[in-house]
Amino acid sequence: MVRDYNNRHALEQKLRSAPTPSAADHLMVGHWRTMATVLARTGQAEAVRQAIASVPELSLRFSGPGEWLVVSEVEAPSGLVRRLGELCDGRAHVVDQSDGRVVFRLAGPNVRSILAKGIGLDLHPAAFTIGGSANALCGHIPVNLARTDEDTFELIVPRSYAESLFDDLTKMGRAFDLTAAFSD
Amino acid sequence: MTGYRLSSGGLVDRSKTLSFTFDGRPLRGFAGDTLASALLANDQLLIGRSFKYHRPRGIVSAGPSEPNALVTIGSDARTDPNTKATVTELYGGLTAKSQNRWPSLGFDVGAVNGMLSPFLGAGFYYKTFMWPKQFWERVYEPFIRRAAGLGRAVLERDPETYEKSWAFCDLLVVGAGPAGLMAALTAGRAGLRVIVADEDFRLGGSLLATGETVDGAPASVFADRTVAELQALPNVTLLSRTTVFGWYDDNVFGAVERVQKHIAEPSSKLVSERVWRIVAKRALMATGAEERPLVFGGNDRPGVMMAGAMTTYAERYGVAAGKQITIFTSGSAGYRTARALASKGVAIAAIVDARAESADQAPDGIRVIRSASVVDTKGRQRLKGIVVERSGFEELIVCDALGMSGGFSPVVHLACQRGARPVWSEELKAFVAPDVGGGLRAVGAANGVYTLSSCLSDGAEKAAAIAADLGFRASSAAAPVVDGEEATSFSALWYVPGAKSKAFVDFQNDVHAKDLGLALREGFGHVEHAKRYTTSGMATDQGKLSNINAVGILAGMRGVSPADVGTTTFRPFYTPVSFGALAGAARDEHAAPARKSPLHGWAMKNGATFIEAGLWHRSAWFPRAGEKTWRDSVDREVLNVRANVGLCDVSTLGKIEVFGPDAAEFLNRLYCNPVLKLPVGKARYGLMLREDGVVFDDGTVSRFDEEHFFVTTTTAMAGPVMAHMEYCAQTLWPDLEVRFTSSTDQWAQMAIAGPKARAVLQQIVDGDISDDAFPFLSVRKIALKSGVSARLFRISFSGELAFELAVPAGYGEAVADQIMEAGRPHDICAYGVEALNVLRLEKGLLTHAEFDGRVTPDDAGLGRMLSMQKTDFIGKRLSTRYGLTAADRMQLVGLKPVDADKDMRAGAHLLKEGTKPSTLNDQGWVSSAGFSPVLGHAIALAFLRSGRERYGEKVIVFDKLRDQEIVAEVCDPVFVDPQNAKLKA
Amino acid sequence: MASLITCPHCGLRPKEEFAIRGDASRGRPEPMDSDEAWHDYVYVRANPRGRTLEHWHHVAGCRRFLVVERDTATHEVYSVVDAAEFARRAAQ
Repeated sequence: MVRDYNNRHALEQKLRSAPTPSAADHLMVGHWRTMATVLARTGQAEAVRQAIASVPELSLRFSGPGEWLVVSEVEAPSGLVRRLGELCDGRAHVVDQSDGRVVFRLAGPNVRSILAKGIGLDLHPAAFTIGGSANALCGHIPVNLARTDEDTFELIVPRSYAESLFDDLTKMGRAFDLTAAFSD
Repeated sequence: MTGYRLSSGGLVDRSKTLSFTFDGRPLRGFAGDTLASALLANDQLLIGRSFKYHRPRGIVSAGPSEPNALVTIGSDARTDPNTKATVTELYGGLTAKSQNRWPSLGFDVGAVNGMLSPFLGAGFYYKTFMWPKQFWERVYEPFIRRAAGLGRAVLERDPETYEKSWAFCDLLVVGAGPAGLMAALTAGRAGLRVIVADEDFRLGGSLLATGETVDGAPASVFADRTVAELQALPNVTLLSRTTVFGWYDDNVFGAVERVQKHIAEPSSKLVSERVWRIVAKRALMATGAEERPLVFGGNDRPGVMMAGAMTTYAERYGVAAGKQITIFTSGSAGYRTARALASKGVAIAAIVDARAESADQAPDGIRVIRSASVVDTKGRQRLKGIVVERSGFEELIVCDALGMSGGFSPVVHLACQRGARPVWSEELKAFVAPDVGGGLRAVGAANGVYTLSSCLSDGAEKAAAIAADLGFRASSAAAPVVDGEEATSFSALWYVPGAKSKAFVDFQNDVHAKDLGLALREGFGHVEHAKRYTTSGMATDQGKLSNINAVGILAGMRGVSPADVGTTTFRPFYTPVSFGALAGAARDEHAAPARKSPLHGWAMKNGATFIEAGLWHRSAWFPRAGEKTWRDSVDREVLNVRANVGLCDVSTLGKIEVFGPDAAEFLNRLYCNPVLKLPVGKARYGLMLREDGVVFDDGTVSRFDEEHFFVTTTTAMAGPVMAHMEYCAQTLWPDLEVRFTSSTDQWAQMAIAGPKARAVLQQIVDGDISDDAFPFLSVRKIALKSGVSARLFRISFSGELAFELAVPAGYGEAVADQIMEAGRPHDICAYGVEALNVLRLEKGLLTHAEFDGRVTPDDAGLGRMLSMQKTDFIGKRLSTRYGLTAADRMQLVGLKPVDADKDMRAGAHLLKEGTKPSTLNDQGWVSSAGFSPVLGHAIALAFLRSGRERYGEKVIVFDKLRDQEIVAEVCDPVFVDPQNAKLKA
Repeated sequence: MASLITCPHCGLRPKEEFAIRGDASRGRPEPMDSDEAWHDYVYVRANPRGRTLEHWHHVAGCRRFLVVERDTATHEVYSVVDAAEFARRAAQ
């Protein structure tokens, strides 16, 4: 994805300093990520879910019944909205949230211990499986939490909360020397 | 008593010497010691002074029930008062200070209270500090506060950090003694997710303090082996130094882990304490049993301690409590202590057994005095001897320590913290845990099972049953074999008759047996009354040792069973938890999140001063060189917007996208004004009411296409409006085909306002935005010349020609920079929420200062918005009530001071001229006020009784806070451009 | 009050994620219903001891209103259902 230098990331101030080598537990902030809210019409939730799930490069994050954040690492915002419009074919409403959300990717052996300091969900590998996602609170901040790999979780947070969540995660990870950087 | 370290034995590491101080005196202990065991080894018997009588007090217990040995640990900001020496892990560099003494522990002036004790009985405070009433606050309270003696909190900022963490498990085991470890092992091997929490720094509980052997090895070795196996299991989490303090609904447990309390120089990476919230499918309470003190004359003398504690100090810490020890017991446990001590070469003077006969075996050659009582103790600050009475004959026995044992009480606190009461067991002569369902069960000694082998098997069996219940298969490993097992039996002895001096029930609060008698005589015999009247069980130890004896004594005096007396109420916390731990990480900037606008960086570049508005940080004004006060900046910003153009960040407004075939109908039912026929491409001001007819929020509603609306809310009400919409859609009208989601964070939104707004904006916007092409209240999805897609709204909150431009948040700063650049020739300025407020005030536009939860649309002059033709909308039905339509309601008006140099403030009340301030004379209130730079004087919006009929009348603006009265003229609330000529330019 | 609520959409969640809105047992009156019916609906609240139906809004989760049937004395939760589901069932 080509970076658009006119588009300012919410954490540009926080992550301005020179990156240090990543520790085992590392917080990666996607410099650019595309996502949209999809709201299925009544009775269409399952059809919409299946249509989107059939596309491997789209990741569905559960927000509520018939409501998802759909994340793409390849599309541009307008492209994703168009693509979802085609996929859903009138069965859902699509709202671009690419600029309204920030993605934190937290990975490492202690990721569950770090997250448990803020999130009241059972994150045990058997309880929160890969591909699972949920809206939750991290401390006082609303997030969408998803497990994307064995020891990797993604937190999607409203843009206005991004700096506070970054500060909180940094503090939660202090015991494990958590490092943080932009992904590119 | 002469405490000393035995030449060998114990689980302390004698190769690691630790230096510490007590009241400045340098002392030494070993790794593995508690502060109490180290003090005892150094023969420091006197640890503190008692609360009321300032009596010398020493160590009584070896655990969390300790009433006496409270010390202050640390210094300066890192001071922890009221810390129990018996659970404080010794570390090199620890500094401990005694409490509640002046000038020194050995010589304490307050001890005079002891001589005054005839006047200081139970209820003393209630009887003495009654009158005169004016003395309550000025004399009595300071006196009581000074006299009440415990450690003092320091006022410095706490430098420690804290955190909380969630944990989930199949089985929580509270207590890592024999039953707990066995349960954890059984469940862990079966594959359950197990958490074991124990308050001690070393896991093993009573296994660490017994001479018994398990599977041929000392019990402590068995404990270590078991702990090692548990540590190796990935599904088991061991939490030492962790007190489970509370049991809450749905089997959630609270626990506090002392992460770095035992370290002289804590690491900045780790917290001091961590509070765990443990969600457990099942839990076992393996909390053991508490030995009961005996209530006899002089039982508080330093040197008198629990017999079991003496065993623990000898077995675990290699410390003898004295050189010549007497045991006073009503059961077999006293004999057990005697045998343990004798086997280590400690001299036993005698065993005083309250019972007439028993099968218990005294160590060889030790004298046993049966059917006997201790009635007094000798010595001042340490025990020198005891007076034993048998059949009317008294005998002085010289000894320096006395171990007392009055039987055992299971520790059932957790099971009783949710309303269930403990149940009296006549068989066990104790209160036992009530049946509270399968979530939490008592096991081992907490279950009234006292032998080691039965504790081990109880733990294994209960864990196996839980495993099976949760669908796991527990293997039936061979039960460990116990050697040298000692049985436990006792007869309950609540009070030892014949006391020659004070017989204490509650050591920490200085409650003695006679106080309970007084309480009963004065009508406070109910256990909850007696507790409060005497303060028995109300100290920081919450009566862990004393409560059972108090109940027994009350039962005896009332001639009933302890079952009839019952217990007082158990509540969290089991032991005190620091405020820091409970606050966790939520301190300073972590106390609440700060929300930053996408234009925050732009505002910073332009020199903004920020103001907190809820969670948001909003730009308040933009000071420039030479401006001395905020008013200078705000006045300039206002005048510049009126004359030229300004840019204001309005991104914090709530934004909601509403979709669906029924979206129009849905919004029509939410707003009191009509929305159904709003044309595509138009915006409308909208008012939402509460169901009681009062204004809930205002904002705009725009229509992008037939089935897509866009709603804005005020910043403060963004959350409540969203929740209100969800409530209506989901619970009231679930059959409407409507869906909506917040897009507040997606858009950077800026207001460009002023006569030159169009000229500036046209430079960056693609397409015609002239008044013909884009008239007032138009909305459109547009593209900027830079290619950024945007939304443009022709709406105004200033009365000026104005646009609101929304761009995807990431582009906000670049676009705002561009507008500032394009506006430079037009003298554009950045303006903040203060100028925004003055601009709207000059136009009589309303905010939540006006919509304060009392105001109807008509009160606010917006009555014509109510669309009573609609069949229904939220608030319609109750809007027509007489009380909401009466002519004498408070109505929105403007106010201007008669003397132009006077100012007004919001919150002031209105009075008719010539009347005095009173509730009866109250004519209304000022809701917003400010200085209008356009008019050159203060202006205000106010609610005045029947106000719209009173333009031109003079009223008094009464400001009690500043004790100021000014005269103002009532006027129309629109001060500037009432024809809206500028707005529609 | 319960420490945990099993949301039908999100599973077991801590109570901090919810906001309680109050009585869920009464429907909104029709526009032309009596003054008494509206007065009761808007202003009158029971404070029952025992079983009660409440709206719990899963604010930090799926943002659905749930109808929680619970006991105000024992804190036992008997059932949790989606409020729209509940309303449709009540309408039948």
